[in-house]
Amino acid sequence: MKQTNNNNIIINASPFLIACPSCDLLADTSKLHHGETANCARCNQFLCRYKDDGIARALSYTLSALILFAVACSFPFLSFKAAGLESVMTLPQTAWALYSGGMPELAILVAAFIMFIPLVVLLLLLAVCIPIYRNKPNTLLTTSGRLIFILQHWAMAEVFLIGVIVSLVKIAAMATVEMGISFWAYAAFTICFTLAISNLDRVQCWSEIERLTPEAIK
Amino acid sequence: MTALTAASQNLSSCHLCYKLAPSEVHRCPRCGAAMHQRKTASIQRTLALLITASILYIPANILPIMITDQLGSAEPSTILGGVVLLIKLDSVPIAAIIFIASVMVPLSKFFAFYYLCWSVEKNAMTSPRQNTTVYRMAEFVGKWSMVDVFVVAILVALVNLGGLVAIKPGAAALAFACVVIITMVAAESFDPRLMWDKTDKNNE
Repeated sequence: MKQTNNNNIIINASPFLIACPSCDLLADTSKLHHGETANCARCNQFLCRYKDDGIARALSYTLSALILFAVACSFPFLSFKAAGLESVMTLPQTAWALYSGGMPELAILVAAFIMFIPLVVLLLLLAVCIPIYRNKPNTLLTTSGRLIFILQHWAMAEVFLIGVIVSLVKIAAMATVEMGISFWAYAAFTICFTLAISNLDRVQCWSEIERLTPEAIK
Repeated sequence: MTALTAASQNLSSCHLCYKLAPSEVHRCPRCGAAMHQRKTASIQRTLALLITASILYIPANILPIMITDQLGSAEPSTILGGVVLLIKLDSVPIAAIIFIASVMVPLSKFFAFYYLCWSVEKNAMTSPRQNTTVYRMAEFVGKWSMVDVFVVAILVALVNLGGLVAIKPGAAALAFACVVIITMVAAESFDPRLMWDKTDKNNE
């Protein structure tokens, strides 16, 4: 596709020519060097960040996040002691307790935001990063890529972490609360998850997918 | 000079993968997502969702968000009640976090989006740059309101010592979660490019 306008600027099919998602101004992001970011010239919207090894970074943070997630789900998250009695909470129990407390809808939402969506996004990151990293496209590549960018807004691991800190203060007066292994694993998971997402740059990711699946582009 | 936008070149940009394609294309040639030059019925959808969320915000504040069952006596507490309790417990910073996340953020989001919809719809002479900043802030803070819902989830799971003390979730938790989700969808339906289209048209 080639088109010329009155300003004599040729719009070709370069995946690095993008329109600002917030004000529609066209921007050429093809000349970015390693570590540089592009912001819109008119509205200063963040457009993209180019890293030579962006995909490899995203892949390694994804793998770390998956391991930490497994740890976070399997050990005590917080424990609560009062009057000689103790109750221990694990990560899946946060959702389960709401379910048995008579609010299954809320249980599903909480489980989705803190566990399932982050987990699905991580698995999709694997499904996208591994084929790009190994230069071997597969049929699921575009679908997985699309789902990552739909779902990533709905992962709320970092919000949950703040929620844990608030809860700790709220009941500190009532009883002794201790943080378990899972709490620290989840905190580290949140960091790795955020880094994995931010290292998968949208423009770079899709230009790689376009390079690997040229037959799909009409 | 007119700004060189995708729309001025008869192109639309995929909201998902940023691919540019001629504006008559309705499915992104690269990622397959539905493609529109501007989000469909953006203002109507945003307003409808905002009104829904504003209505749900009432039960979210009136109904109890959690019920503390201590030695057989149940004590319900609302969102604002929780903030007051935290101030009484001398943890003002945490009270501030809850107050900002559960009261200030949703309210300012409502006002921000009502204002943005009004300024686009009524063609108000407002600065698109300033409005974009408002939009970006309102969009960014969206999911942080969920803190209070997570606090309830954690307390319900953690504080469970049989007959001695137990915390149960209240109906407001679900209403509030819905407020957060619906405002997040409202933010996604709002198309900030509409604010710039006005200035682009005036400059022509």
